Amino acid sequence: MGVGRDERAWVRGARAGSVSDLEALFRLHWPRAYRAAYLVCRDAAAAEDIAQESFLAAVRALDRFDRRRPFGPWLHRIVVNRAIDWSRARALRSEVALHEGAASFDEALPTGNSHTVASALASLSAEHRAVIVLRHLLEYTPGEIAELLDLPRGTVNSRLRRGLDELGERIKEEVR
Amino acid sequence: MNEERLRRTLLAEPAPDEQAAGERAWETVHAAFEAREPVVQPFRHTKPLIALAFVAALVAAALTPPGRALADDLRDAVVGVEQAKPELFSVRGGGRVIVESDAGAWVVSSDGSRRLLGPYREASWSPFARFVVAARANELVALEPDGTVRWKLARPNVRFPRWGGGATDTRIAYLSGGRLHVVAGDGTGDADAGGLPTAAPVAPAWRPGSRFVVAYAATDGRVYAYDTAGSLLWRSAPHPRPRLIAWSSDARRLALVTADKVVVLTGRTGRPLSTRPLRGVQGAVFAPGGHELALVRARDVLLLPEHGRPQRVFAGAGAFDGIAWSPDRRWLLVGWRDADQWVFVRVAGKRRIEAVSGVTELFDSASFPRIGGWCCASQQ
Repeated sequence: MGVGRDERAWVRGARAGSVSDLEALFRLHWPRAYRAAYLVCRDAAAAEDIAQESFLAAVRALDRFDRRRPFGPWLHRIVVNRAIDWSRARALRSEVALHEGAASFDEALPTGNSHTVASALASLSAEHRAVIVLRHLLEYTPGEIAELLDLPRGTVNSRLRRGLDELGERIKEEVR
Repeated sequence: MNEERLRRTLLAEPAPDEQAAGERAWETVHAAFEAREPVVQPFRHTKPLIALAFVAALVAAALTPPGRALADDLRDAVVGVEQAKPELFSVRGGGRVIVESDAGAWVVSSDGSRRLLGPYREASWSPFARFVVAARANELVALEPDGTVRWKLARPNVRFPRWGGGATDTRIAYLSGGRLHVVAGDGTGDADAGGLPTAAPVAPAWRPGSRFVVAYAATDGRVYAYDTAGSLLWRSAPHPRPRLIAWSSDARRLALVTADKVVVLTGRTGRPLSTRPLRGVQGAVFAPGGHELALVRARDVLLLPEHGRPQRVFAGAGAFDGIAWSPDRRWLLVGWRDADQWVFVRVAGKRRIEAVSGVTELFDSASFPRIGGWCCASQQ
């Protein structure tokens, strides 16, 4: 049985009240949902909150979910849109200094190559990060991204192009 | 960097705390799933089914104990609790209750006697119920329970005074406009908790224990735990539209109620332990000495254990308003506004309901009085 058929069976089971089927859905989708939120909003605590809230929204809407459609895009739409909203809201307000509990993105970055990429990605706008994460982490096509973000396909393509160009420039600056 | 390499890098990028975050989130999602109310699928031929169901309910009401309970509920939905006492002859569970009515702040003793302290609002107890702190429009007032004024402090737009501390040293936190202020228990040293974000209109809450740590909700949706020595201990993730916060008595949990959920945070770091999607929660209090939360919504009262499903302990038509635990943890006091009753629900041992009617008249009020706190039987 493929993942798609498994997933449909788990959705069916969860709708009928099966905790183990819900858990299977959660375990399948949590890592990428959390990582996507983290890469877009650049704050581990916020990413956890966003991914968790997205699953909760999914649980609340489970009875209305169209079983013929895949669960992943439905969830990722919620995650990425919330992460963009969160990033925009953060950009509008000043953050207070903290003593603990809210390690910044840069502090939490690993060393080495992925540090360079993550650091460069962090310097892009939330909108550019979102399309890059959807395309290159979650592997959606530009057409699917357009649908998920409710944007024209041309906008998605231009954001991808500009985002990747900018990312390339930042990486070059980082390694110089 | 080519696209394939970017993909591999993003996939390899370790997201901080991914597994632990997943475990915490799963606990919350699991709890929400357990607590959800499944949607009833519509039937095509509903009219005959409704008619049959109604007949079945009538038969059930006549024949079975659950049916009789249903009939009782329906009756209660109209008139409140039957056989409610016409007067407050005693406070079930002992202790003293602070009440706010149109006439002002009152103290109700365990024998049911009531004393009007004066034209104050938002009154609450000091930690051992030796004093009361209350607000007027532009004044913070500390009182003795007999109404004697100990001191006053003029500040603009005073709201939500809360008294914390121990037997020998206390502080009062309150909001002046959107600013969190802290003043010593003797009224000296009032200070704006400088540098913190603007407070939401939510009562601050003192962390039980020896240090003076106060939690408050800000307009950015976060809860901040502030040590009055001058440092910020933690802040939570944002939770829009906060309504109230409450500490457990062991300071290990902090409940945050928003317009559509109840979030329980760890007291030490502010990390979320559980999130329950519950709309319309108007009051929430931890059980004395425990982590069980009592919640009041518009039409029901729930007990929320730390793990497991919420339990509905009382329900009725019309709006509820206010909830408090008895100091001995055996009773819940619930204000039932539309029935003009106070309902005492015994939650320890065998379930029992007692009620007092005509509450607005008891407190010389036109609107339904607010329950401000129930405190400290040992101090009687």
